[in-house]
Amino acid sequence: MGRALHSTFWRAAGYFLVLELMLVPAVLYFPEFQKHANSLKAMAPIPVLRSVIDTLEQGGVFAYVTGQHFFKGCNTLGTAAAVLLACGAIAGEVHRGTFEIFLARALSRRRILTERWLEGAAAVCIPVVLSTLTIPWLCSLVGHSVAYWPLLLCAVQQCAVLLAVYGVTFFLSTRARAPMGIAFAMLFFTVFQFAVYLVERITHFSLFRLTDVERFLYIQRENGFELWALLPPVGITLVTFVASLMSFERRTP
Amino acid sequence: MSDGTIRARGLCKSFGAKVALEPCDLDIEAGRVTGLLGPNGSGKSTLMRLLVGLVRPDAGSASVAGVALAGDGLAVRRRCAYAPGEIGMYGELRGHEHLDWFLRGRERESRARARALAESFELPLRRRVHTYSHGMKRQLMFAAALAPRVPVRILDEPSEGLDPQKRSTMIQLLQEDAARGTTVLLSSHHLGEVDRVCATYVFLSGGRKISTERAEDVARRARRLVRATFGPEVRLAELAARLRTGRASVRGELLIAELDSDDPRPFLAELASLDGIGAPRTLDYGQASLSDLYRGLYGVEEAC
Repeated sequence: MGRALHSTFWRAAGYFLVLELMLVPAVLYFPEFQKHANSLKAMAPIPVLRSVIDTLEQGGVFAYVTGQHFFKGCNTLGTAAAVLLACGAIAGEVHRGTFEIFLARALSRRRILTERWLEGAAAVCIPVVLSTLTIPWLCSLVGHSVAYWPLLLCAVQQCAVLLAVYGVTFFLSTRARAPMGIAFAMLFFTVFQFAVYLVERITHFSLFRLTDVERFLYIQRENGFELWALLPPVGITLVTFVASLMSFERRTP
Repeated sequence: MSDGTIRARGLCKSFGAKVALEPCDLDIEAGRVTGLLGPNGSGKSTLMRLLVGLVRPDAGSASVAGVALAGDGLAVRRRCAYAPGEIGMYGELRGHEHLDWFLRGRERESRARARALAESFELPLRRRVHTYSHGMKRQLMFAAALAPRVPVRILDEPSEGLDPQKRSTMIQLLQEDAARGTTVLLSSHHLGEVDRVCATYVFLSGGRKISTERAEDVARRARRLVRATFGPEVRLAELAARLRTGRASVRGELLIAELDSDDPRPFLAELASLDGIGAPRTLDYGQASLSDLYRGLYGVEEAC
C-alpha cells in the first residue's frame, strides 16, 4: 500500500469508527426520543432547534436517523475530516520539506494530484457510506425498519456537500505553504455556516441547508434529489478540482 | 545508451524581482560527468530544477537526453534521474519503502537495483527513515537516483553530508556509471571530488553562467602555472612588475606566474637573474588545480 494511501486508510478507519460510535447510541435512544420529544422541544433554546425537533418527530425514524447521522454526525465530523484531510494534501508537503521529492518522481503532476485528491475524497466519503449501511440493522434493534436505498441517496447528498468543502480546502492547499492556516480558516468558515443555520431569518443562506433533515425527507419522499441542493456542491467540487490541477501544474518547489 | 546530451538555450528564471538564473546556454556532451560549481545562491539548483521540469522557465528552451523540455517535464524525468539537493523525506516510511515510493513510474528492476545499492552502503533498509542520519538519507537518495537505467542523471549536491569514505565510494560509482555512457550533471561544494570525477566544469555566479572549462584545459593551464613564496624582504608587487616571462600576479604572500608555454625554464632563469631577490622559500609548478580556478573566479577557496 502506498505511503499516502496507508495513512489515509487509517484516518478513514478512525473517522468511520467515531461516526459509528456517535450513531449507535443515537439510534438506540430513538424509543426514548419518541417518548420525550415534547419535553425536548420545550427545552430547545432557539426557534430553529424547536423546528428541527418538530421535523424529527413528524418524520419518524427516517427523519431521526438522518438527522442524527447526517445532519449532526457527518456535518460536524465529516466537515472536520474533509478540511483536515485536504489542508495538508499539498501544503503539508511544502511545510515539511518533502515537496521537491514529491514532484521529482517520473510521474506527471496531473497524476500525482489526481491520486492525492482521490485518496482524500475516498477517505471523506467511504466512512459516510459504510456507516450509513449499518443504519437499517441498528434500527432493527429498536424495532424499526428503514430502507437502504433512500439512505444511500441521502449519503450521496451528504458526500456531495462534504466533497465541496474538501475541494475548496484542497484548492487552497495547492496555493499555500502551510496547512494550519487553511485548516483554521475552513473550520472557522464551517462553524460560521452552522451559526448562520441556527439564525431563523438567515438560515437559508447556510451551507448546511443542503444537508438538513428537510432535504433528506424530500429524498425519501421523492426517491430522488433536489437538483438545486445537489448541483451546486457537485459544481463546486468539479471547479475546485480543475482549479487545483491548474494551480498545481505551476507550483514551484 | 541513447542520446545523453543536455542542451539549453536562453534558459532563465526569476522569482518575483529576484533573478535566479539569467539567460543561460548549456551544452553538455553525452557520457561525461559535468560539475556545476558556484557559491550558494549562484543558481545551480534553479538550473537543475529547470532542466528536470520542476520549475518552469520564464524563457528559453532545453532538451535532456534528446527530449525537449515541455509541460511539467515528465518526458524529461522519464529519461533522467534527479536527486534533489534538499532531502526532506517521509520519516514514517522504512528505507526500502521509501526507495519503492521514489521509484514509482520507473522500471520495476530499478527498485531491486536501488535496494542492492543501498545495502552496499550498509543502510538499514528495514528501519524507519526518521531514525536515519543526514548522511544516511543522502545515501538513500543517491541509491534511488543511481538505480534507474536512464541516459542522464542530474544530482544536486549528492555528496553533501557524507564522510570521506562514502564520498569516495560515491565518486567511484559515478565514474563507473559515466563509463557505461551515462551523462551526469552534478553540483558540489567539494572541489576535490569534482576535480576527481568531472570532465567539464560549469561555473555560475549570481545566477549567471560565467565560464565553462574542460578538465584537460584546467590541467594544461596548471602545467603553465608557477607559484612561489619569498622572504618578507622581497616586495612581491615590484617583483611581479619586473618579470617579463609570462604574466605574474600577487595573491597574499604568493607570487603566481602564468607562463606562455609548458616549459618553466625561461621563467626560472629570469627569476634567478633578478638582483636582490634571492632564492624563493617555496616553489611549485604544475600543481594548480580546480581550486585555483575557483579561487580566481570567485576569490574564495570553496563555495561552502
